[in-house]
Amino acid sequence: MYKLGRGNRDKVQQFMTITGASEKVALQALKASDWHLEGAFDFFYSQPQVSVVNTRHLEDIFNRYKEPDADMIMVEGISQFCNDLQVDPQDIVMLVISWHMKAATMCEFTRQEFIGGLQSIGVDSIEKFRGKLPSLRAELKDDNKFRDIYNFAFTWAREKGQKSLSLETAIGMWQLLFAERNWPLLDHWCQFLQVRHNKAISRDTWSQLLEFVKTTDPQLSNYDDEGAWPYLIDEFVEYLTENGLVQRKR
Amino acid sequence: MSSGGPPRKRNFKIEAFKNRVDLDPKYAERTWKVLEHAIHEIYNRNASGLSFEELYRSAYNMVLHKYGEKLYDGLQSTMTWRLKEISKSIEAAQGGLFLEELNAKWMDHNKALQMIRDILMYMDRTYVPTSHRTPVHELGLNLWRDHIIHSPMIHSRLVNTLLDLIKRERMGEVINRGLMRSITKMLMDLGPAVYQDDFEKPFLDVSARFYSVESQEFIVCCDCGNYLKKAERRLNEEMERVSHYLDAGSEAKITSVVEKEMIANHMHRLVHMENSGLVNMLVDDQYKDLGRMYSLFRRVPDGLSTIRDVMTSYLRETGKQLVIDPESLKDPVEFVQRLLNEKDKHDKIISVAFGNDKTFQNALNSSFEYFLNLNSRSPEFISLYVDDKLRKGLKGATEEDVEVILDKVMMLFRYLQEKDVFEKYYKQHLAKRLLSSKTVSDDAERSMIVKLKTECGYQFTSKLEGMFTDMKTSQDTMQDFYAKKSEELGDGPTLDVHILTTGSWPTQPSPPCNLPTEILTVCEKFRAYYLGTHNGRRLTWQTNMGTADIKATFGKGQKHELNVSTYQMCVLMLFNNADGLTYKDIERDTEIPASDLKRCLQSLACVKGKNVLRKEPMSKDISEDDTFYFNDKFTSKLVKVKIGTVVAQKESEPEKQETRQRVEEDRKPQIEAAIVRIMKSRRVLDHNSIVAEVTKQLQARFLPNPVVIKKRIESLIEREFLERDKVDRKLYRYLA
Repeated sequence: MYKLGRGNRDKVQQFMTITGASEKVALQALKASDWHLEGAFDFFYSQPQVSVVNTRHLEDIFNRYKEPDADMIMVEGISQFCNDLQVDPQDIVMLVISWHMKAATMCEFTRQEFIGGLQSIGVDSIEKFRGKLPSLRAELKDDNKFRDIYNFAFTWAREKGQKSLSLETAIGMWQLLFAERNWPLLDHWCQFLQVRHNKAISRDTWSQLLEFVKTTDPQLSNYDDEGAWPYLIDEFVEYLTENGLVQRKR
Repeated sequence: MSSGGPPRKRNFKIEAFKNRVDLDPKYAERTWKVLEHAIHEIYNRNASGLSFEELYRSAYNMVLHKYGEKLYDGLQSTMTWRLKEISKSIEAAQGGLFLEELNAKWMDHNKALQMIRDILMYMDRTYVPTSHRTPVHELGLNLWRDHIIHSPMIHSRLVNTLLDLIKRERMGEVINRGLMRSITKMLMDLGPAVYQDDFEKPFLDVSARFYSVESQEFIVCCDCGNYLKKAERRLNEEMERVSHYLDAGSEAKITSVVEKEMIANHMHRLVHMENSGLVNMLVDDQYKDLGRMYSLFRRVPDGLSTIRDVMTSYLRETGKQLVIDPESLKDPVEFVQRLLNEKDKHDKIISVAFGNDKTFQNALNSSFEYFLNLNSRSPEFISLYVDDKLRKGLKGATEEDVEVILDKVMMLFRYLQEKDVFEKYYKQHLAKRLLSSKTVSDDAERSMIVKLKTECGYQFTSKLEGMFTDMKTSQDTMQDFYAKKSEELGDGPTLDVHILTTGSWPTQPSPPCNLPTEILTVCEKFRAYYLGTHNGRRLTWQTNMGTADIKATFGKGQKHELNVSTYQMCVLMLFNNADGLTYKDIERDTEIPASDLKRCLQSLACVKGKNVLRKEPMSKDISEDDTFYFNDKFTSKLVKVKIGTVVAQKESEPEKQETRQRVEEDRKPQIEAAIVRIMKSRRVLDHNSIVAEVTKQLQARFLPNPVVIKKRIESLIEREFLERDKVDRKLYRYLA
């Protein structure tokens, strides 16, 4: 094996830490992206998972956590699952896992969802799953994946039969998600909602808020009053301006 | 004696023709001397002794024999000499004789020039074109211009004399206009440039200074109206002066000077002049002054827009005061009448003084639209005005009168931005008129409906027309009911039912109250009859909208027929069996809602002259601790006593808010329907285009609020009629 320069060795180490991949995989990805770390991540995530998993083992894992009298994993099973993974149930990585599993509802995994998720993640044992956690967590750094996960969260966290997301749940999810993105106005937004809105959040508002976070600078200098933003966001901007929380310049 | 001709040969003999190119120079010289002498004689007015035949021939021969140049130059120098002499005599003229002398000499010059040109006609035709010299007549004019008009001694004196005479005429003196005309015509004959450069320009300059000074004096000592009269007179004078003795081309120029100096430069000061400016003229209907201002200001740039702007400001302020004044808000009919009067007033000003100028009509319209919509109660008040007219105001009026008044109301209606609010109130007021039979005429009512339909379309009035249909149908139903059931009904009270189609009428949920037994019986008979002939129908009584006629006998045997509301009837009938009843008793026995009950008891017990009930304790208001008694002492001059009038009243603030809330709620489905219609046809459209399109579609009824449109879009997204484009978040797609 040829000798790596110190800079490149650091990159390999960084890649392995973030993705949880092997050194061999790290080297392959970094070479393919001409030793650019960001490019390496893109390369790595765009590769289909080729590991072969043992279906029998997947069934065993599911059966370990499912309800005794129902063919799905519920709160207790999930709690146990988190214990085995050594993950807090509130950890955002659980959201990522749910997204992989295409879970329809929070705190519930059907057999199909759970087993399908294990397959797509490419693990057939809890040990392997635990080893995958860093790379699953790292997916939140990818903008496209973050958006998918963000929008998935709306449906996932919503009460069954409801079209909107309750305010309390929405605020909790936002705090969880934007901890990953450091949105400076997050606290103001949550406070505004509790003081001025105090109602459920629509899907459109939910998804458009992410666009707002991504495209509008925290000083609101490029906020477009006629930009077809949901009314709630218009009101938020007004709230920030009125209360002197942001000195808006045009 | 020898003749002047060539020597004659005695024996005639034909010889070949020879060009005689070598005429004797002495002969030419002699010939010119003859002609020169003749020119002098012409100028000396001794032409009668001359032989034009010989002179013409002499000139002819000179040209023919190549002495054209000599002839032409001789002419020029001779005329020049003569004009210099003439110049001296003109200069010598004393004072007032100057212009006369100038004119006389000019006329002499012209006569001489005519003769000279005739004599030298052959030269003008042959030598002049080929040598590119100036024709004789024109030469004469040019020499006159150069040696007379432009002579240093004459030029300035001429201009000053002319201008001085004009100044004196402006001051009121009578001057010799004929002489002036001759002089200016002379200048024009010398060439337009001479007239323009040597007279017109100094004339305009002096005039500008004159009118500048005069206007400064006028503006200080005159009020606006008088100033404009003077300005107008000055304009007319200048136009008259042109027609008398200036060239026609000067009119536009001199009027432009007067316009600038007397009007344009003082325009703003004039319109804003204290106590006499434009606003004062408008207030006091000074048609002549206004007309004069209009016709004068029209002549200057921005003149009319200045008037229009001031008028608009005044109208907006006046109108704003009208619609905001708390005093005028107390009486809706008065409120609207004042607006109509204001409109009439300014319509008349525009037609009489402003020539029906379209731009002024538009300014009036936009001003009314501006201030009428400042008061959110305008739609209600206009409806109340119509209500007042259709209840009694138009009683006995001719059909033509009705049309005039309704047309005026429609003018105000057109200004409303919230026509749907008007519709809401109009429906309420119409319902009360129809149900209480308080309409002056069905034709007038229908005429109003037709006007509204013409203005806003069928959909706007379809429910209103439904109300009329219901009234007609009800009438037929009642006739049939009594025809078929008269035996069953016997001597019971007479019932008159109006069948009101749900959705057409502005009904509110009416909690059932306890009708008197006698009424209940006949009501049940009607219900059975009606449901028997109309399968599947459902009847709900609207007791809060009814009326009743009751016969009552009071203490001393006096009898009265009372016209009351249905609720009041329910209350009064209780006293057939009781002398006194507490408020609680009445409430329990009738089950009339408290707010309605209090209002109806107040009418029965607290209104002087209509207090058929007596209450203890005596007070102006109804309290739940009160006790009521039949008022044996009730008296009235009238046999028929009307209690608890159902005349439409101005809404209280809470009622107004409630109506407005209902209007807002009604707008939401209309906005959504518009959005869906638009998206269905466009499939894909951006946000701002939707807002613009929805606004356009609905503005005949109301101006949609863009925020409300946005909310409706969000609602449609939530219900999956629309979705946002995946790439462009401002773009919406219709989901079929």
